[in-house]
Amino acid sequence: MNSKDDVHICDKKLNLKEKTCPNREQRANGINVYYGPVTQLIKDAKAGNLKLSERKFQQSAGCTLNFYLAIRISTIRDAVLIFHAPVGCSASALGYRELFRNIPTAAGRPPFDLHWLTTGITEKDIVYGAGDKLKKAIRVAEERYKPRAIFVLTSCASGIIGEDIEGAVSAMQPHIKAKIVPVHCEGIRSKLVQTGYDAFWHGVLKYLVKKPEKKQDDLVNIASMLSYTWQDRVEMTSILKRMGLRPNFVPEFATVQQLEELSEAAVTAPLCASYTDYISRGLEQEYGVPYFMYPSPVGFQNTDEWLRKIGEYTGKEREAETVIEEERRKWGPRMDAIRKELGNIKGNGKKIEMLGALGQGRLLSQLPYFDELGIKSSAALSQDYDNLILEDLEKVVDQVGDFNILVNTFQAAEQAHITRMLNPDITLTCPFQGSAYKRNKGATRTHAVRCDNLKWSQQTAYAGAVAYGSFLLQGMKSISWQKTMLEKTQYGYKDWYFKQSDPLYYLEKDAV
Amino acid sequence: MAETGVDNESSFDDIADIKEAPRYSCSLAGAYASTLGVYGAVPILHSGGGCGVAQLFGQFYTSGECAPGVQGGTGTPCTSLVEQHVIFGGEDRLQKLIKSTTELMEGSLYVVITGCVPSLIGDDVESVVRKFKAETKNRIPIIYVNAPGFSGNTYKGYELFLNAVIDQYLVPIKKKKRTINILGVVPFQHVFWKGDLETLKNTFAKIGVEANIIFTEFDGPEKLKRIPAAELNLVLNPWLGHSVAQRLEEKFGTPYVTFPSVPVEPQQTTALLGIVAEKLGIPEKKVKAIVAAEERRAYRNVEYFGDTLIIGMPHSYTAVVADSATAVGVTKYIANEVGYLPDITIITDNPPEEKRPEILRELSENIDCVVKPEVFFESDTHKIRQLLKGRSYLVLLASSLEKYITDEFNDALHLSVSFPINDRMIIDHSYVGYRGGIVLMEDIITKFTGPL
Repeated sequence: MNSKDDVHICDKKLNLKEKTCPNREQRANGINVYYGPVTQLIKDAKAGNLKLSERKFQQSAGCTLNFYLAIRISTIRDAVLIFHAPVGCSASALGYRELFRNIPTAAGRPPFDLHWLTTGITEKDIVYGAGDKLKKAIRVAEERYKPRAIFVLTSCASGIIGEDIEGAVSAMQPHIKAKIVPVHCEGIRSKLVQTGYDAFWHGVLKYLVKKPEKKQDDLVNIASMLSYTWQDRVEMTSILKRMGLRPNFVPEFATVQQLEELSEAAVTAPLCASYTDYISRGLEQEYGVPYFMYPSPVGFQNTDEWLRKIGEYTGKEREAETVIEEERRKWGPRMDAIRKELGNIKGNGKKIEMLGALGQGRLLSQLPYFDELGIKSSAALSQDYDNLILEDLEKVVDQVGDFNILVNTFQAAEQAHITRMLNPDITLTCPFQGSAYKRNKGATRTHAVRCDNLKWSQQTAYAGAVAYGSFLLQGMKSISWQKTMLEKTQYGYKDWYFKQSDPLYYLEKDAV
Repeated sequence: MAETGVDNESSFDDIADIKEAPRYSCSLAGAYASTLGVYGAVPILHSGGGCGVAQLFGQFYTSGECAPGVQGGTGTPCTSLVEQHVIFGGEDRLQKLIKSTTELMEGSLYVVITGCVPSLIGDDVESVVRKFKAETKNRIPIIYVNAPGFSGNTYKGYELFLNAVIDQYLVPIKKKKRTINILGVVPFQHVFWKGDLETLKNTFAKIGVEANIIFTEFDGPEKLKRIPAAELNLVLNPWLGHSVAQRLEEKFGTPYVTFPSVPVEPQQTTALLGIVAEKLGIPEKKVKAIVAAEERRAYRNVEYFGDTLIIGMPHSYTAVVADSATAVGVTKYIANEVGYLPDITIITDNPPEEKRPEILRELSENIDCVVKPEVFFESDTHKIRQLLKGRSYLVLLASSLEKYITDEFNDALHLSVSFPINDRMIIDHSYVGYRGGIVLMEDIITKFTGPL
């Protein structure tokens, strides 16, 4: 795909000798902003023309530590997480015990008791250093909870004052039974939150994954996404079971052993290509576990393909075909009915237009699914973009055609602007879009609350395609909430911003 | 001490900072939450890009799952500093962000909140703000709060915010008779802040006192400006905000009075009204008449839960886990008016040592029960859990961190009443004032009642 050797597309070789991964910016030319046709983005990416930019106006949109990384790691069942940080950096993990706890164990939820610590870096530590404190925290973690692993997460403060994390870890490891895993996720290291996930997987690969003792031919690694629900796990588990396979969902609510055994699996399958990238490549490079990145099991066609690929790697091709046939027979008529009803909504033969706020993973998985539903995505918002998904993005364009893409690291004002400007029939919102949902047309969510246990909220595989399809149908049936809010509440941004046409009005045109 | 790998094992003074899930965020979060509580103020974070999102999850959603509004969370302007700014400084970014924010976002006061990164690299935020004010000829109100996360917790941030307001925004104005400011209630951190403040305002209005509750009022910056006009500052907290009130006294000559709780029921509310009325010289007769009418209605309503209380779950041993002001208010109510037996009260907001005796006194001398609660000061979730083990209580009024540990504790009835609260939606809900206790009992009794 890369005709010119001098253009750096992405670095696929991982170096686990390093203490951490490279940033997405370096590894894959990751960018924080882009607006234009996706076909042009692909051209620019191949020509090496993508660049990071600064904005004169920008909004808080997460950092490598604080964009679900903390929550993810804190749910590893027999591990303890230590935030080597001021007390505010860990606050997002305060809801950790409640995630999934309302799901009955009868529904397959394993019992768990989760713990995290903060070293609570103070002014004094800034002056004198906090290395001893980290060591004490590691000992406290071991004594209190007797975990199998201890993850140490870094912060801006620990990074800037030059804390020697590796030094502390290697000093403590001989005295500690738990495996200590440093994760370098100081917020200042990267503009792209995906770097934090890579940093986590780097630690997992470097410190936790064991040399395979035996191959588990029926084990399928799936790096799960918190934004899919418990029912999605149940669905994927049951489908894979019918093929004689077992999913190894990591890291959320996994055990440390599940992470150690990643090397024994038959294949690593994607749920989110971007999130899974580093661990997938690492497992292949170090232990020969094959992987694929595309597609994810969202929508009928892509679920077919996902199952077929898993079947290929596990010698279950026939079983895959059987499941595909059964599932299509079961859910196909309902999918057809949903498609038909969606197609009739506008009454003029035209498709519903949708604007989705998505991450890179959902950009790849959702757009073909919406196309399947007969919904047109004339534009999509993506949190970020990097060349790791370049080939897969081309496949999406092959499936659904060209569309406009706004890469914008969840900038709420830009999202509000483009939503007003494009005025789609329905907009999918993450919880973080400011006023973008206040409008006279459809607005609904991208994904469910984390603890949601309803089948209604499922999105993966065939049952999920039907569930989310009917969910979207419902979303098209009322605008009263968003319309009321538009009329009755403040929008927050001044009108002139919406009277000019450029959502990237505040972009600094010189690259940094 | 090579054996454990810790070099300086004898020094345990810093181990106190090492905690499991403490029940607050950092000082940036406190200043940020306070700014968002002032409707019309726009926070500008000079910090790493994650500070707004971290607090969206850690300070706002944790506050009864409340979204923080269009200026909060990912709506909050933020310089989003990365390594290059650490090297070259972030002042240029801040200057541009202040300019663009004041162009784009509706607001009548802009509040620059400085986090860890600029503090560590030595950005001169004061001079950036001064320059902006000069360029805009002071037409755009703007203040800055230096609140790096390592400087303290949410409570500290609340005080830093108010101190910045006092030093940079307030000017002396004429006092207005029978007006008070209410201090000591931290937006979002005190999860019931919205409902409580409105209730307090309405309650004081009944005795002819105009309470400036500052937060949740649509002309928030104007309400800030009115702070020096008060005749009296009322601090509803056994420790927090006392230094702010002192500062206001020094600067504007406003006396202050402190009250150890957010007043959770008729007894505490009546006591509070009495104290304020006396300070403001409101005729006792007038107050008594109003109190009598309010109490009559309140206790008439208490009769409605009488049967289910006395048959369902009367005189239960009760554990309370909450910040000082909530813990004192709730413990006194359930002990002094409902007949519950206060088994243990754990105070989670680290009051300074010198303020602890008063809290202990409140929870012993002013508890009208032969059972006095064992009181602990602890914010470490692990230690709190250990303290809760092996006791008699069947009612656990705590945070949502305790929601799923009750199976270890005789399946105690759990209700979230203090930060963090992720398992309830709290907007207008309030346990304060004459009706507050009834609302609390509705919530408790809902968990056990059925056909009698």
